[in-house]
Amino acid sequence: MTSRYHGHGGFLTRWSLGVLASIAMMATAAAAPTFVLPPLFQPASSEHHEGKVIWADLVTPDVAGAKRFYGELFGWTFNDIHTGSGGYSVALLDGRPAGGLFQRAMPAGERRQPAWLTFISVRDVAAAERHILAQGGKVLSPPRSYPDRGRQAVFADPQGAVFAVMQSFSGDPQDVLAAPGEWIWSSVITRDPDTDAAFYQNVFGYEVFEIPSNDGSTHILLSTEDYARASLNTLPADVAKRHPHWLNFVRVNSATDTATRVEALGGRVLVKPFPDRHGGLIAVVADPAGAPFGLLEWTDTDSKEIAK
Amino acid sequence: MKILVSRRSMRGLIVVLFAAVAGCVAGGGYDGGVGVGYAVDLYEPGGYDYGGWGPGYGVGPPRRGGDQGRAESHAAPHPAYRPASRSRSMPSLPTHSRGR
Repeated sequence: MTSRYHGHGGFLTRWSLGVLASIAMMATAAAAPTFVLPPLFQPASSEHHEGKVIWADLVTPDVAGAKRFYGELFGWTFNDIHTGSGGYSVALLDGRPAGGLFQRAMPAGERRQPAWLTFISVRDVAAAERHILAQGGKVLSPPRSYPDRGRQAVFADPQGAVFAVMQSFSGDPQDVLAAPGEWIWSSVITRDPDTDAAFYQNVFGYEVFEIPSNDGSTHILLSTEDYARASLNTLPADVAKRHPHWLNFVRVNSATDTATRVEALGGRVLVKPFPDRHGGLIAVVADPAGAPFGLLEWTDTDSKEIAK
Repeated sequence: MKILVSRRSMRGLIVVLFAAVAGCVAGGGYDGGVGVGYAVDLYEPGGYDYGGWGPGYGVGPPRRGGDQGRAESHAAPHPAYRPASRSRSMPSLPTHSRGR
């Protein structure tokens, strides 16, 4: 039954109804999911590779600038996802997700700098959190689920290097050789690789190999499923000016040419290209906002089994 | 000026308002906005130098079956970690490309 209100006491004026409707619209807009992160990989699979680096997100105050830079440098294209407080863009290489760019205002009054955040695959984020805390790590962002993407959390290891773990709801990427323009390698540059290796081994179950070095510093390799997943290296001398961090490397055909291109696009070269242990060149650069990342040459020949 | 409002439409408006406000409380996006946001502490500390490496500072993976065999001795006689068995060969990157 529809009743009607007449008279001064029972009537809503057009004005009050308008106000109410406006509030409803604003509240609805605010309440709507700000955005949904896409699955990491499609089609989804049941593949899982514990301890593998499966993703990297750039946290930067300038996503637009980052898109220009990385698009020019690696040929990445971008799929924008708008958020309530900024923006998130999925970088694609030949249609395959290569990483994420997350817009975030720089904290006021603090000396901070943009960085690529490394995501390591786990089967159970809660269990990883328990192990990390038990081993002296610290929670920076507690476990949280994103419907299509997965469950993830951000931590610092006992020496302060920041990393994330992710239980991907669409499975992990296959163990294949990265194509040029894709992430191929990750390193932890830290004060004490020895104790940090124990931390990561206890959390992710890595096999740990020590690699001979020519410079007297400690080089350690982390492995699962007979694949090298990351290295641990001693921070270079002058430690007071440096802090422990993860550093991710993109595969390139020529570190020299790419480093030159980085400078032309407004970035900086932090470590000039030099031969690494596999014979190819390696370099460290920073994007125009200052986020560091590595360049690594890797030829198909580098992957071939060498006859003994 | 007066208008007529049905009880049904009033109920509808109230339901929308309630749902919207509840959504405000329970909702969350990538950065949450409720103090536990995704990227709260993810900027690296500033004022530090990156890089600074010289020749011999090996960072990348070794070649599979290459000549960088296992280290003969560890700098620390009792490393904090559990070293892989001596019988294990040095691992490297995957050898096959996507789609092969």
